[in-house]
Amino acid sequence: MSEAETRIVRFIKDYVEKTGTNGVVLGLSGGIDSCTVAALSAEALGGNKVLALMLPERETANPRDTDHARFVARRFGLKAQEINITDTLTTVYRSIQDFDPADKVSKGNVKARMRMIYVYYYANRLGNLVCGSSDKSETMMGYFTKWGDVAADISPIMDLYKTQVRKLATHLGIPAEIVSKPSTPALWAGQLAEDELGMRYEQLDLILYGLEHFMNPREIAAQLNINTKTATKVKHRWLAAEHKRRMPLTAKLEYRTVGSDFRLPRTIS
Amino acid sequence: MQGKLHIALAQISCYQGNKEKNLETIKENVVRAKREGAQLVIFPELSLTGYVVRDQIYELAERIPGPSTRIVEKLAKENELHIIFGMPETSEKAQATLYNSAVLVGPNGLIGKYRKMYLPTHSIFEEKRYFRPGYQVAVYDTKLGKIGLVICYDIYFPEVTRLTRLKGAQLIVCISASPGIRRAFFETLTAARAIENTAFLAYVNRAGIEDGLQFWGGSRIIGPSGRIIAEAKYDEEDFVVAEMDYADAKQVEAFVPTLRDLRPELFDKLKESAEDL
Repeated sequence: MSEAETRIVRFIKDYVEKTGTNGVVLGLSGGIDSCTVAALSAEALGGNKVLALMLPERETANPRDTDHARFVARRFGLKAQEINITDTLTTVYRSIQDFDPADKVSKGNVKARMRMIYVYYYANRLGNLVCGSSDKSETMMGYFTKWGDVAADISPIMDLYKTQVRKLATHLGIPAEIVSKPSTPALWAGQLAEDELGMRYEQLDLILYGLEHFMNPREIAAQLNINTKTATKVKHRWLAAEHKRRMPLTAKLEYRTVGSDFRLPRTIS
Repeated sequence: MQGKLHIALAQISCYQGNKEKNLETIKENVVRAKREGAQLVIFPELSLTGYVVRDQIYELAERIPGPSTRIVEKLAKENELHIIFGMPETSEKAQATLYNSAVLVGPNGLIGKYRKMYLPTHSIFEEKRYFRPGYQVAVYDTKLGKIGLVICYDIYFPEVTRLTRLKGAQLIVCISASPGIRRAFFETLTAARAIENTAFLAYVNRAGIEDGLQFWGGSRIIGPSGRIIAEAKYDEEDFVVAEMDYADAKQVEAFVPTLRDLRPELFDKLKESAEDL
């Protein structure tokens, strides 16, 4: 795993330098993904150039996660700030005339997007980049909030499956307690990623790996000794979420079009 | 040519889309090469512009000869050495028809160019979107020996280096912009191309990162037996000057006589079969 670590650290450092920014801001939930990205960012830039925002809210607050986030911030020497966003969220809910508290997904997405607003506010104020924590498993599955937790300028671990992130986290010295606890997007109380995805990451990642390598569900199922329907379901979910991974679709009208054939490098020196 | 040759491998990173800054880097490395006794300094593929420039390529490409080759010619003249570098080339006969080219200049000016034959268009590569493939191998008879030019993905196709060798190349130069995920392929293929042709091969790759793509460096000079004569660092910018001796080719050629044992009649069959893949 040290090669992945080296490449990601070099990637973060290089992009921050090329964009002339002062560092990164990231949301630190205390989960494995954000803790891993925090550790890698600190290694790339120095902890004093990494601002970790802890953004708990009443319904999903978990003292164990907060302790983990604080521990990681201390362990890697990050600048850290804790802001409770409960009141802000309550104000938003109240201001929406048709707000339905029973609609967990719509309400939960407000939380993810509110966290994004705080993170981007600090990034703008400090001249920093937003460093995202999305991994490859959840990105392929579309298991994230559009313009919410996935919103970032760079996503250093987006090419690593969750099971790979676990190995990298261990290699980086992130405690086993953080690595082994069940993942949650923290959109509502008791939400668990593996329950919603319908399987353990150990199996999901192997299916996704097969899809990445152009295998069809039947071939994947045969290799993993699972039901073809399970692999097919994952494939459909992966394909259906493509709209969440792209620029908004537009009608092709002119010579070159944003998001399709307007093809420019990310940075021009 | 017989005798020894001092080659500088200039494993640089580039400024994406900034020819002026890249020419400065080329100049610094040429001056250093001269100072360290090199007769030939080699820069990577598209070292004039950077590799990931996408649609900007239409603004950046130039004719050969053109403004940038003239600057490099001047550097070669002032420093009395040979230089190989990579750039996007605009066709003499069209305005937006481009080639991915390697340029060879010497103290007396432009010697020649090579247009990349095999343009990767898969995975993260999109070269056919922008470039027309070349159709000619390039071997130039210079004071430093007969030098053949190939570019990056060409190395996967043994016929390019084979043809280059059959045209007389003693030294095959492969300029490259290869990302880390491809390292194992190139380490094997560069050695294989040297061995199967009993030729010297200088491979010069990029360092640095462009749009998340990290180039693996690892530039090297390989002898005709496959021995690595000199090697630059992985992943980082580096500058290596090394000596190679053309005389070493004779004993290898006698030991593993791949050129003597060539079977030309197989090439017709190869052509027939390749057409019907």
